[in-house]
Amino acid sequence: MRKGCLEMAVLASLWRGRLYGLEILRVLERDSSLVLSEGTIYPILNRLRTEGLVQSEWVEADAGHPRKYYELTGTGRDRATHMAEAWTQFSAALGCLIEPVLNGQRKVEQPQ
Amino acid sequence: MTPDKQINDYLSQLRAALKGMTVSEREDIVEEIRMHIRERMADPQCSLDAVFAGLGPAHELAQQYRTGVLVQRARTSISPVVILRAALRWATTGIEGFIVFVIAIIGYATGVIFLLLALMKPFFPANTGLWVGPNEFNFSIRMGATMTNPASPVHEVLGWWLIPVCLVLGSLSLALTTKLLQFLMGRFRWKVPFSAATHTRPAMMTL
Repeated sequence: MRKGCLEMAVLASLWRGRLYGLEILRVLERDSSLVLSEGTIYPILNRLRTEGLVQSEWVEADAGHPRKYYELTGTGRDRATHMAEAWTQFSAALGCLIEPVLNGQRKVEQPQ
Repeated sequence: MTPDKQINDYLSQLRAALKGMTVSEREDIVEEIRMHIRERMADPQCSLDAVFAGLGPAHELAQQYRTGVLVQRARTSISPVVILRAALRWATTGIEGFIVFVIAIIGYATGVIFLLLALMKPFFPANTGLWVGPNEFNFSIRMGATMTNPASPVHEVLGWWLIPVCLVLGSLSLALTTKLLQFLMGRFRWKVPFSAATHTRPAMMTL
């Protein structure tokens, strides 16, 4: 798998606004069937923060305990955009490659 | 053991394993994990065991944090110690990291050997040099009285030029190794474990 796919997924999940760790996991699972373990997401968020791609903030929540929210920085938005573009190109190129495979499958299913 | 005690034990282990970070960094992480556990436990269908299973053992979770911090530091650091530590940590994750570690060792060792040669030339002028001769290209250092210098037609070619040449080559080796490793650190990626057992949809991607 192309490098940085996971970073792209996490950055993209934050595109529409700030989220806390568990929410990011749920958004990834709901929108992309990407299931990360809980022990994976937090160290990644920590690294993205030290890279300056996201910033975090503790917010006193209605739930009765504070939550640590993550938000894209300007650099993070740029990075997410570039990654998304690169991903689209890569995916389109791969699409051309596998198209005959899909067509071939249909031929087998409908013999003359 | 009560759930509270279990949670506190887990967080104590995590805190202890997060050594090498500042207190505020460490407490921030521990607090975030504590809130995560609390949030998950608010769901009555969720068991504490399931939460711990998702997080993984405390020392492994800490290891992931520390690897991230170390690699991040190594990407901008010029300290061979920091870079070597990061490379060593990477080496424990698989063959890719091992190769990077070997590159680091060879690169730094080459640099250090060149610099040592330059340093020793003033003290052992006759025994340090670049000897060239027929059927022989021998770049070597001879030390001690027991060793004899190569006899003619093998002869030393650099003389005192050995010092600047070795200083330049040594510095270049160190600088290039550092640059190369910083570049490689930028390509470091985690192996991402999927929680496949608790999940019904196929994990389409191997990241």
